[in-house]
Amino acid sequence: MAELRGLGARLSEAEQAGIAIIAVSPDPNERSQKLADGFRLGYRFLADRDLAVTRRYGLVHAGGGPDGDVPRPATVVLDRDGVVRWFSVSRNVQVRPDPDDVLRAVRAL
Amino acid sequence: MASSGRLAALSVGVAIGAVAAYALLLRVPVVRNHPEAYVVAFALAAALAVLAMVRARARRWPAWLALFLSSLLLVAGGWYNFVGARVPETPTALRVGERPPDFTLPDAAGRPVSLADYQGKKPVVLVFYRGYW
Repeated sequence: MAELRGLGARLSEAEQAGIAIIAVSPDPNERSQKLADGFRLGYRFLADRDLAVTRRYGLVHAGGGPDGDVPRPATVVLDRDGVVRWFSVSRNVQVRPDPDDVLRAVRAL
Repeated sequence: MASSGRLAALSVGVAIGAVAAYALLLRVPVVRNHPEAYVVAFALAAALAVLAMVRARARRWPAWLALFLSSLLLVAGGWYNFVGARVPETPTALRVGERPPDFTLPDAAGRPVSLADYQGKKPVVLVFYRGYW
């Protein structure tokens, strides 16, 4: 969540209105959505309960969580045509992309 | 020349300070993204403790305590950062310049959302994360 908040806090209101931030996790997400709404961040949290989509993207960390598989933390910037312009996949669970790097990729679109 | 007791105190201070700083500054990207910094701090604390051991004459327990604490943190922290926290590389479906696979997933209210819904409308930042923790 920290990286999501970091990104939202750096975006102006106009920028927030101009892009969609979609967060995918195996959680049911009611809590995440409430939290994001509380921070007035325009995120949509999508639930990938069985990790089917995460798996199709090749982003499963096998046995990485207490209950088995979890997603590899990843951030992808897609342009208006849905083409990948920048992405970052974590190689250490402690590390997330720097929000400034994500922002630079978004502003370069 | 610092006394053994002072070196031991400094060692404990560096070790505990590193734990506290990392925990408190986890939201700061530069701290979060350089977890190896705490391993370096633990190594420094261990070196100070060894120096305290060498200098110790009568009262040895502060140096022993510092050495025990710093080596414990160095081994545990080093293992976690370089082994436990590693995420194995996987071949991903992400290529710069290509469209990733489309998908449809329910949002928090149960409404289906597709990546294709945004095509031709808005740029998207797509984040995969581990869940609420």
